[in-house]
Amino acid sequence: MTAWEVAGLAARLESFALGPVDLTLRPGRAVALLGTSGAGKTTLLRTLAGFVPPSAGRIRRDGADITGSPPEARRLGYVPQGLGLLPHRTVERNVSYPLELRGDVEAVRHVRPLLERFGIAPLARRRPAQLSGGEAERVALARALAADPELVLWDEPWQGLDVAAQHDLGLVFTELREAAQVPVVVVTHDPALAFSVADQFLVLHQGRVRFWGAPAKLLAAPFDGFTARFVGYENVLEPAALAGGAPGSLTAWLRERAGPDGVAFGRPLLTPGEGAAGGWEAVVRAARPTPEGIAISARVDTLTLALRIPAPVTASIPAAGHRVRFDLDAADLRPLGLAARGGSPETGA
Amino acid sequence: MGDTVPHLSPGRASAPVRSPLRAGRPWLALQIVLGGSLLLLFLLPIYALFAWAGPTRILAAATNPAVGAAIWLTLFASGIAVLAAVVFAVPLGYLLARRRFRGRSVVESVVALPVVVPHLLVGLGLFFLVIPGSPLFRFTNAIGFPIYDTIWGVVLVMVFVSAPYTVLAADLAFRAIDPRVLEAARSLGAGPANAFLTVSFPLALRGIVAGLLLTWARAVSEIGGILILAYTVYPGGPYTGPVTSTLSVLVYNLFQSGDLGDAAATSSLFLLIAFAIFLVIRIGERSGWVPWRRGELLP
Repeated sequence: MTAWEVAGLAARLESFALGPVDLTLRPGRAVALLGTSGAGKTTLLRTLAGFVPPSAGRIRRDGADITGSPPEARRLGYVPQGLGLLPHRTVERNVSYPLELRGDVEAVRHVRPLLERFGIAPLARRRPAQLSGGEAERVALARALAADPELVLWDEPWQGLDVAAQHDLGLVFTELREAAQVPVVVVTHDPALAFSVADQFLVLHQGRVRFWGAPAKLLAAPFDGFTARFVGYENVLEPAALAGGAPGSLTAWLRERAGPDGVAFGRPLLTPGEGAAGGWEAVVRAARPTPEGIAISARVDTLTLALRIPAPVTASIPAAGHRVRFDLDAADLRPLGLAARGGSPETGA
Repeated sequence: MGDTVPHLSPGRASAPVRSPLRAGRPWLALQIVLGGSLLLLFLLPIYALFAWAGPTRILAAATNPAVGAAIWLTLFASGIAVLAAVVFAVPLGYLLARRRFRGRSVVESVVALPVVVPHLLVGLGLFFLVIPGSPLFRFTNAIGFPIYDTIWGVVLVMVFVSAPYTVLAADLAFRAIDPRVLEAARSLGAGPANAFLTVSFPLALRGIVAGLLLTWARAVSEIGGILILAYTVYPGGPYTGPVTSTLSVLVYNLFQSGDLGDAAATSSLFLLIAFAIFLVIRIGERSGWVPWRRGELLP
């Protein structure tokens, strides 16, 4: 039961500065590291792993300062992008590698239960090049656990996996978190993964922490286009899109309620009934069935909005050019561009 | 399944579909003509050597103790050169692959230099370096590595001209390793030395061996520098055989003295040995003695 404390951690690469980052990682908890490409997610992970020397700050494991420890002394299960499987070793000898390093002469036998648990025992004699993406992820995860880590760092799992393998691995991941009782930090671009496995989100923007807190908080208050889209708002309107629009139009109405970086909202429901009154009028551009109803892309003023009908999948799909009406409640709007409202907010520079 | 076949229109169904990726015939013909010309250039001189020598002379050369001594010296010296490449060239390749430092491109150019310098110049340079009476001359004699007309002279020239191939191959081989694989190994508990032994070295081994083979091939074929530094080789150091010269120098001498038949026979014998060595490597690849798959090492 190890807790990690990251205080004021900063690092400098050639043209990039990370931090300061403050974090507390508790056993059994998972943190999703989010952010656009180049936000510093991988750099933060590699700094925690000991591959990037920090320029400031401290990393403590149960109070002991390990900021200067080499990677091999940190007791990590680090799964880098691309997984880092040893191409010249079989699956079982990849998983047994950390045990072999500790002088376990029967390492291969000792990892057998781990192979069984991750469903990779039948692949024991294969080489990494002979594995599918999902199988390789399982091997990497099993190997990280074989090291008996005190912290699991996982960079971009799910990359290149098909939906079935993703779902499958999500279950394995959850099981791992419950069983291993160590903190997990996972870098991801995938909202479904982040929401399904992480208790906390850490959003990085240009190397700085923009949000640190519970996913529900971010959902309630996304602060920029990226976070709004990430947590699932399908209508994200930037200020440029809201420029223009005659008084009394939806565009003007939204502009009045938007933040400095625009506004976000979920899919408004169509008002049922032919020629229904009230709300705003839109022209259908495209529509497709989904399990939750019919998703519609429609035009209002110069805006393209995502709308929906909570109809059964078998309902008829409105044709393009069809006029529809919908209501939008001001309480459902999320103004963007305000400071993050997480546990350690940073007011924007 | 069989029942359904008659229902297909047989003529069309069985017509082979030509792969759209396959090159047209004229293009293929061009490749065969151009590539074949080069192969002929490789093969015809070898044929000429064997034809000139004839089996009787080759057999005579094979049983001639003077030729045997030259072959032994050449294989022995080139073997030492390959060992030297393992000890000195592999670490340099590793350094070039892994470290960024000032003057790196200068070092890389220096490594490439022996490949482009005419080898007579190499011999001259080494000659002036250890010219009799110089401090280095006295030093090498004092520590038991006399250079002139000894196997050490041969080895020195061989290492000079052939070690770069191992440096370059090791550099490429270490560079080709995904750094994330190494990072994963480090985070799993491997210290730098352990990561080298369990990850870098096994993964680079194939490339290094390929470089060592090139080094060996270049070493045995060297003549320019050896003509100057060790024209005749006297016993001394690890070489205890009769007074002789390397095979390349022996063939050159035979040719110079007008002994064309023996020159051809000795050359043929050498070609047979080289061919046999490459054949053994191929068989090794096929039977899995070696840590790489067939066709990965030699083209």
